[in-house]
Amino acid sequence: MNRLLVVDDESSIRLLYRDELTEEGYAVETAATAEEAVEKLSQGSFDLIVLDIKLKDESGLDLLQKIVKDSQNLPVVLCTAFSCYKDDFSAWLADGYVVKSSDMQELKDEIKKVLSKRTQRTVPKHT
Amino acid sequence: MDWNRGVLQKGMEGYLDWECCLTKEEFKPNECPFIAQDENELYATHKRSIIEKCLECPGFRNDLNRLKAADPLAATLIQHLSDEFLHLREQLQSVSGFLNSRNREIQFLNEIGNVLQTSLELDEILSVAMTAITAGKGFGMNRAFLLLTDKERNILKGYIGVGPRSYQEAWQIWDDICRSDFSLKDMAKDFYDTKLSSEKVKFRDILEQLIVPLNDQEHFINRAFVQGRPTLVEDAFNNKNVDPAFTCAIGADNFLVLPLVSKNRRIGVIIADNFFTHKPITTQDMESMETLAFPVAYAIERAALHERLQEELVKLTEANNKLQEQQRLILKMEKMALVGKITSSIAHSIRNPLMIIGGFARSLQKSLAEEDPKRGHIESIVRETKQLEEVLSEVLGYADALHPTIDLWDINQLIINVSREYQNKLEKIGITCPLELQPDLPMVFIDYKQLAYCIRKIIGTTIEAMTEGGELRIRTFLDADCIALELRDTSNKVTLATDDFMATPEFTTQGQISTLGISLCKMILEKYSQSFQAEKSPEGGMKYTIRLSLHKEE
Repeated sequence: MNRLLVVDDESSIRLLYRDELTEEGYAVETAATAEEAVEKLSQGSFDLIVLDIKLKDESGLDLLQKIVKDSQNLPVVLCTAFSCYKDDFSAWLADGYVVKSSDMQELKDEIKKVLSKRTQRTVPKHT
Repeated sequence: MDWNRGVLQKGMEGYLDWECCLTKEEFKPNECPFIAQDENELYATHKRSIIEKCLECPGFRNDLNRLKAADPLAATLIQHLSDEFLHLREQLQSVSGFLNSRNREIQFLNEIGNVLQTSLELDEILSVAMTAITAGKGFGMNRAFLLLTDKERNILKGYIGVGPRSYQEAWQIWDDICRSDFSLKDMAKDFYDTKLSSEKVKFRDILEQLIVPLNDQEHFINRAFVQGRPTLVEDAFNNKNVDPAFTCAIGADNFLVLPLVSKNRRIGVIIADNFFTHKPITTQDMESMETLAFPVAYAIERAALHERLQEELVKLTEANNKLQEQQRLILKMEKMALVGKITSSIAHSIRNPLMIIGGFARSLQKSLAEEDPKRGHIESIVRETKQLEEVLSEVLGYADALHPTIDLWDINQLIINVSREYQNKLEKIGITCPLELQPDLPMVFIDYKQLAYCIRKIIGTTIEAMTEGGELRIRTFLDADCIALELRDTSNKVTLATDDFMATPEFTTQGQISTLGISLCKMILEKYSQSFQAEKSPEGGMKYTIRLSLHKEE
């Protein structure tokens, strides 16, 4: 069973993710802050992180950089209310980018795709 | 008989037979060979005729010599007095001539000065100066050449030549001038209006050879600058102090060098000669022209400063306009940034609750039995939430695209990135998406977000139109000075005319296709001078073409 870490500052959203993704067959852990996420990452191993961009204590994009730096093979899917970060350089470090939606199918598809590929993290080139 | 003649006759009676006609009783016109035809009034005024003519008359001199024998004292006295008178008269005439000459010169310089003081245009000033030097009413030199300082190259170089190039032309010009009654000012104006350009061309071959390095201290022109006054160059072809190339170019053996200096700055030099008449250049000519040099130098410098000032003014005006434009842009950007902040806030404040409401409604929907009476209510929540999310996406997507950041981008990479986002969705619906990307395309100045937004909108519209699958072919290729980006689908649901399809920025549905995204694309792309076309393909389906200029739009 793949273990997912969901990082989002909204408790209702964490709950929703947990329900939906558990139903999909994942073991889901949640974190409300970047600090909590770092702590959980240091304690256990995960197969994928679902990461929000606006967190209370730190930007999700800064956390993404730390994750990429510390554990390069850990895939990250950004799931955010903001579509504007899709074309941001720092967001390109992530393996997937999904805009939050009540229909979580897109997120589920993205997670499945990323996990199935498990490819090495590559940074799209800005030529 | 008038009183004077009577006295003379009475006084000298009995002495001699007089040769001079001054004592004659009748003094008929044309009788005195020394009174010219236009001096006939002297016959009427005897006293004046004696002073003007008789004292120089050979007859009078003979009479005086004979008188010496009869009355030596009176004759000697008359001799002295008449000599002294003639001497004083000669001096008076000389002074009068000098004063007349100076008066004419002052009037002439005043006339030039008025023009030079009021003109700010270099060519107009040069027209006056060169006309003054060469016109008969001015200094009457045959030819004049002006060399101006080129500060950047630190040289003096030929700028204009004035005068005839041949004897034939010389006579023609002087004949024309004699016929016309132009004042110096009129001549200068006529020269400026009609001859300036042709004179520059006429002497081009000579002017091109008149180059003097300003750092060559030994050059005779630079020595003239050091002396700071006109220099007469004589026997130039044999003068070892004179640059032979310069002399050959001028072709004259004698010429005047008139340095133009303003506040110790070397403005230029005028070379003047009497190439055709070979009239000697006198010291007075040089002194007169020296008085011209300063106002001309000053006027040339002032015109150059004015020209530079005008150039700076134009630059300053342009800079000011640019600044104002930038200020407007900053204000606009501030407003847009405000819009961005608002939309960002909306995104967080609305999308999250919508997701929670819709997400839990979907969870509930899954857990409720088909026949549960509350299922309909939950389905309504799910449907309305979805609708709200779509509207929000449209609005926020457009707001994102309002911040243009133009930079060089690889268009193929952009296509790969955007199409990858839709890979799952396309596969699920059964739409294949072959990419035909021309390799090694030049990078292009675009706003990545805007173009990505437009391509997402087009792909989104295509997905809407091809619910039963099909093909979306994306092609890039070089097209003249543009990169063309073509998206061609196999949908057949678009029934609107192409123009309506492009120009209806609302949720108009025709065959279930929303046109909002496409009309927004058109607005965005055309706002930044990119071309966008949507047309029905003859093979069926729609063809969208975006042309991106390879040159950065200001």
